[in-house]
Amino acid sequence: MSMDQLDQLAKAQEPLLVSPEVFQQLGTITRTLHDTMQRLGVMPKLQVATDGLPDARSRLSYIAEKTAAAAEKVLNSVDQAKAEHTGISQATKELAAAIVADPVRAVASGAVMNFVKDVEARTQSIDNHLTDIMLAQDFHDLTGQVVAKVVKLANDLEDSLVKLLVQVVPPEQREKVDPTILQGPVVNAEGRTDVVSNQGEVDDLLASLGF
Amino acid sequence: MSADMKFLVVDDFSTMRRIVRGLLKEIGYNNCEEAEDGVEALNMLKGAKFDFVVSDINMPNMTGFELLKAIKEDPNLKHLPVLMVTAEARKEDIVLAAQSGAAGYIVKPFTKATLEEKVLKIMQKLAAAA
Repeated sequence: MSMDQLDQLAKAQEPLLVSPEVFQQLGTITRTLHDTMQRLGVMPKLQVATDGLPDARSRLSYIAEKTAAAAEKVLNSVDQAKAEHTGISQATKELAAAIVADPVRAVASGAVMNFVKDVEARTQSIDNHLTDIMLAQDFHDLTGQVVAKVVKLANDLEDSLVKLLVQVVPPEQREKVDPTILQGPVVNAEGRTDVVSNQGEVDDLLASLGF
Repeated sequence: MSADMKFLVVDDFSTMRRIVRGLLKEIGYNNCEEAEDGVEALNMLKGAKFDFVVSDINMPNMTGFELLKAIKEDPNLKHLPVLMVTAEARKEDIVLAAQSGAAGYIVKPFTKATLEEKVLKIMQKLAAAA
């Protein structure tokens, strides 16, 4: 929007609650900010990062779905394997009782053979459930890759925002927002209460804090 | 092709290496070693005799594609079948893998039946070529 347009807009909104100068001022600031960002190359980077946000949302949803499905699959498999296991335990007790009561009858009636077949089938079923549980762990690989992508996006976004912030804050406030600025050696400690001037002060400070 | 065949499973996620290794054991192949990226895999392949490589694609240091290329360019290794097991589902990747000499391509997540089918198919091809 040009300054003339802003001017016209301001005039059209009579009676004005704020003076047209405020709009003009706002327009100037916006234009300056926009130009600065373009010049710094922050805008395109920021654009790329923000464009990635909907993608990040869908990626996070994917992680939620994958982990939920894996947990569900594992719990179902455990339930079924436990049921088979309980069945084997029960059948073992019954066969033991039958053998104790009448060994010949237990064999002759087919109870022993039935038990063997039953255990064979049930252990196979348990083995299948264990394989399912093992396979369900693939969510670690699949979601891990997605997490890495989202973390990269978050880093890019943070990087662009910090750069932007560093450029638009007044110079005297810059060090507060720029995490990359390390203070380095104190050139002149005289009159300053926020720095230490020797190792003794470092030790004293640490001691005062209980270290 | 016997159960003694030596497999190398390459994946940067230890969980996936264990899954593939566990499934290979169930299929009947107990002789299996692991590498966490292409660089480690290539060193292992050059240092000992392997019969079969199962590799992920997206890995740090050296991707599965780079590993595949290195294997196929090495006169001592190029005979090795390489089965790609990966989450990369783009057609161009699958085509590239095939053109680069991959013996098979499985997209994660996969089932035991899929792995068994692909491994058997590759084994049959090897047996026919021998």
